[in-house]
Amino acid sequence: MKGIDIRIAEIASPLGRVRDLRLGIGRVGSGTWDEPVGPTPCPSPTALRDWDRRLLARYKPFYMPLCDLCCLCTYGKCDLSGGKRGACGITLEAQQSRIVLLAACIGAATHTSHARELVEYLIARNGRTYPIDPGGLSVELRMPIAELVCGVRPETLGDLETVLEYCEEQVVHLLSATHTGQEGDPIDFESKVLHTGMIDHTAMEVADVAQISALDFPKADPGAALVELGIGAVDAEKPVILVVGHNVPPAAAILDHLAASGLEGSVEVTGICCTAIDMSRRSRAAKIVGPISWQLRYIRSGIPDLVVVDEQCVRADIFEEATRAGLPVIATSSKNCIGLPDRTSDPSDELVADLVSGAVPGVLVLDPEKVGEVAVRVAVERRPLRPEVPALDVAAAAEACRGCGACAEACPAESEIPAAMQAAGQGETGALGALLASCVGCGRCEDACPQGIEVHRLIAASCDACDRFAIRTGRGPIQDVEIREVGGPLVLGEIPGVVAFVGCANYLEGGEEVAEMVTEFAKRRFVVCTSGCAAMAAAMHHDEEGLTPYERFSGRFEAGGVVNVGSCVSNAHISGAAVKIASIFAKRNLSGNYAEVADYVYNRVGAVGVAWGAMSQKAASIAAGFWRLGIPVVVGPHGAKYRRMLLGRADRDEDWTVRDRRTGDDVYVGPVPEHLFIAAETKEEAMALIAKLAMRPNDTSRGRSIKISHYIDLHQHCYGRMPDDLHRFIRTPADIPVMQKDRILPLLEANGWIERPIPDPTLLPQEVSR
Amino acid sequence: MIEGVPVDVGLANEGERIRKEEMHLEFGGPKVESKWEIVRVMPPDSVEDGVVRIVGPDIRELAGGGSYPLGILVEVAGPQLEEDFEGIIERRIHEYSNYVEGLMHLNQRYDIWVRLSKRGFKAGFDSLEYLGLVLLHLFKNELPIIEAMQVTFYTEPSAVAERLPDVLARYEARDARARGLTDEEVDTFYGCALCQSFAPRHICIITPERYANCGAISWFDGRAAARMDPKGPIFALEKGECLDPVNGEFVGVNATAKERSMGEVDRVRLYSAFGYPHTSCGCFEGIAFYIPEVEGFGIVHRGFRDPTVNGLAFSTMADSTAGGRQVDGFHGVSLEYLKSRKFLAADGGWDRVVWVPSEILDRLKPFLPEGVAERTATERDVTGVDDLREFLRARDHPVVARWTEEPSGRALVTAENLPLEVGGYRVILKNARIYADRVIVLREEPAHGEGRR
Repeated sequence: MKGIDIRIAEIASPLGRVRDLRLGIGRVGSGTWDEPVGPTPCPSPTALRDWDRRLLARYKPFYMPLCDLCCLCTYGKCDLSGGKRGACGITLEAQQSRIVLLAACIGAATHTSHARELVEYLIARNGRTYPIDPGGLSVELRMPIAELVCGVRPETLGDLETVLEYCEEQVVHLLSATHTGQEGDPIDFESKVLHTGMIDHTAMEVADVAQISALDFPKADPGAALVELGIGAVDAEKPVILVVGHNVPPAAAILDHLAASGLEGSVEVTGICCTAIDMSRRSRAAKIVGPISWQLRYIRSGIPDLVVVDEQCVRADIFEEATRAGLPVIATSSKNCIGLPDRTSDPSDELVADLVSGAVPGVLVLDPEKVGEVAVRVAVERRPLRPEVPALDVAAAAEACRGCGACAEACPAESEIPAAMQAAGQGETGALGALLASCVGCGRCEDACPQGIEVHRLIAASCDACDRFAIRTGRGPIQDVEIREVGGPLVLGEIPGVVAFVGCANYLEGGEEVAEMVTEFAKRRFVVCTSGCAAMAAAMHHDEEGLTPYERFSGRFEAGGVVNVGSCVSNAHISGAAVKIASIFAKRNLSGNYAEVADYVYNRVGAVGVAWGAMSQKAASIAAGFWRLGIPVVVGPHGAKYRRMLLGRADRDEDWTVRDRRTGDDVYVGPVPEHLFIAAETKEEAMALIAKLAMRPNDTSRGRSIKISHYIDLHQHCYGRMPDDLHRFIRTPADIPVMQKDRILPLLEANGWIERPIPDPTLLPQEVSR
Repeated sequence: MIEGVPVDVGLANEGERIRKEEMHLEFGGPKVESKWEIVRVMPPDSVEDGVVRIVGPDIRELAGGGSYPLGILVEVAGPQLEEDFEGIIERRIHEYSNYVEGLMHLNQRYDIWVRLSKRGFKAGFDSLEYLGLVLLHLFKNELPIIEAMQVTFYTEPSAVAERLPDVLARYEARDARARGLTDEEVDTFYGCALCQSFAPRHICIITPERYANCGAISWFDGRAAARMDPKGPIFALEKGECLDPVNGEFVGVNATAKERSMGEVDRVRLYSAFGYPHTSCGCFEGIAFYIPEVEGFGIVHRGFRDPTVNGLAFSTMADSTAGGRQVDGFHGVSLEYLKSRKFLAADGGWDRVVWVPSEILDRLKPFLPEGVAERTATERDVTGVDDLREFLRARDHPVVARWTEEPSGRALVTAENLPLEVGGYRVILKNARIYADRVIVLREEPAHGEGRR
């Protein structure tokens, strides 16, 4: 409930006569909550600066400028290279951090706006007092992030607006800090990046909790349905609708309209990107085509009859592509109108007639229900008119290739297109088709080709990408009970850590790598989480028995489980699970108590995020939200384009002391976790890093020995030798893994190792008991 | 790698699952009548250190695809070893066997199930001798108090079957010893600080009649663990003078709790949910929760997903008892502790228990005094507290005798004069009574100054 303001001009009562009484209550909390509010409810951009600086003192930005110019104001362009300052006085370092902040603000604004639209839509649909229920009886802590950040415990859809107002206000402040002449210190920029990440997770949680509650998605359900994924899963005989984007109401309305009109099962509703995952959470009948990289190839495949787009990660040329393929388009988002006329208030019959006849190539309809009806009717009526896609003579088209290499130059995945193209020109199309696995689907190769070869089209045509796979649809939050069950094993080391594979599909060597890593860590009994495009990529690989990781491993948050939490906005449940551990095991108050809980998570919860194909600004803000909780993030080789890493210096012993909460002593704990943000060149390198970054100062000896044994094993796979830094991670002889004593003891001796205590670790002086 | 063993051995293989199609052969499991594994502590002269024997056909002599009987006898010797350690050493057979690439070990005691994968067999794992070498290597490296050890595998069906009754009798003797021991008979209890890694202020006290909250550690386990790993998280504590035999308060327990909880908890009553109850971390198996309306306790376990008789689910109540705090009336427990004579003994024990999920009640029935199961309600009998009251009255449950008057709602605030300051006005509510489930008062944030902090 928001501000209450009661004014009484005059009242006569047994109490007496009262005039001009004004009674104001700033905020009324609702619900059953006896937790005291902590020191930083709804923190300002500087309220957690102290915590940020403690982290950033260990993990200093390591800059890798993608561009050493600044062209944001008319003083410039300014060349910032070689220690030169810009006209405004800014340094190259500050400029890099400033651009990171800008990117993070874009990401956080996007999720906040997404959440705002969802909440408004769902309030209009279900009512302001509709209860929030992301997990039924299994979830007592419904919104751990909102509680932690804002100090509120929302109970209804209407309550979510309070949280969103805070996020919106913060994003404005944060964005304003990137204006010329605001911050100049790189660390202050970085602190604001972390703040932006925290806001981003708060907004994501609002978005996902709202849609889980009101759209009846699986509620923290480990047994969420296995749904179909891949072009091969689509029955092209039926009318086919393609939905692209992230904001599910139009897609949900399409599914609802099908159900209401008795057409369920006779129309295929297919999706690309997070909308696809979210509609599969609404209905098992929805089919997921794949991650964002599948837009061009699917639109050109001749399968869909209609394209519906909402927001985020939708190709800017999707309208042109769809029109070329003869497909009508419905845009549905105020943030992605793609130049189409607003026909929201026109009658559905007119819209259907215009789109079916081709009188208009596309329309903007900002009413999800109307989209639902129109899309279904158009797809059904267009199906008989579906144009036949002529078979492509790949060899003939490829013959035009002169091998100039412009396509490879333009390719973000650095694919070796020319050789494959020339082989195709001679009738050998295998190599060309094989490129599809690592193709991000951007189509830059086609623009680059001086011969006008439709490179991407030829690649897609050379590959039989008609597989079908199974993915467990997004289950939403982790149950409190699951957290309780893994707590013991996590402490004992039977579970060596939690690894979350998140983010976009910009993989250098293809999505199969994500599936391999997911499988490797599930086999090693880590808890594996997935979300968004990474969740889809993990599904697009069959093992030798023909099973995808989702079929092979359980969906429970347990050792060896593979847990798809859902779409991008579901990432908040992964950070939320870490926060819940602090609440459930240590009973740390969450309410407005960010620094203390982050300190707990950072020192105790062995969680690692992996954004192997991170591409977007949202990925930047999502990562930042993990960093502020002290959860390290590993990115793929493209991640270097995020302009800076946050790297620890293992060799600087003085960086790695913590306070022992019991004694107040400073104790050296080794570089755990060693980095907060780091790019890996290969999946092998990433896997060794993940195992290493899962270590935390509080690990029990058994836990540490298990983590170290995974680290050694994966390190040997990658580099063919023992790691040379084991002495930093072994605290007592009991930390040495079974089977490795003979090899490790000499290493320790050579490095002058001495036994050291395992403290009750904290970075916060106020945590030390008196 | 262990010398002479053709496959990898290490923690990384622990999660390996071997499906039927990947299996070369299996020992034990549901298709086999006789199977067992046992550890025996022996006098030094009867153990031939480092020897592995196989009585019956070895893997390479057995047809692929089959299921065969197996007995694993591990005999250990060492001056510090005691018969009571057998159980805890035995459990490691499971753990260590699973370190072997291509081998999967399930269950324990008379219920073992060992599968060898085709890949493991192809790599050369064609003899049980290799498993023996692995066990020898790991046990002796990890548990230095084992000075000598020999392993015998029985695969001859008659040999496995013939030894089964004796093995079963030994398990039973071990259990009976554990069941029979009382808190009064010992001077030493054990403390477990494992969970302090996550719950820094919680400490578990383990007595012969009180398992650790997680259900994983008995007093015997605690004793063995503390002896075998003196620097480990499980430690011995002198129980000290008994201050209160009914509530179970001991000088030594209080001192340990105070020291290990950084002064937060300085008194613990082991046998009561009131006053100074034992704390809970977060991984307890169940909760005993007080139901004031009937003056009895309900019990709910982690796996029960529906609301309990008081309308609250496990997860809701768990929130009230976790985190190393002492919360009256909410008590984290292990399921094993429910079988104990000392289970909430000061509060009346099972005479106070009024509601338990049927799954747990069925499981506990053999351990409860006669008539208790019949008078205890489950989710099948009652749905709410009103039903419960009727049920208890009908079964003449002992708590009924405690009911003096019908419980009723209580006023949260009663005041003759309740002054409120409102914007310069003073409002006085006379004889006001305010009823509320909960009242939350939030401070309005300052409009100026430092802003939100």
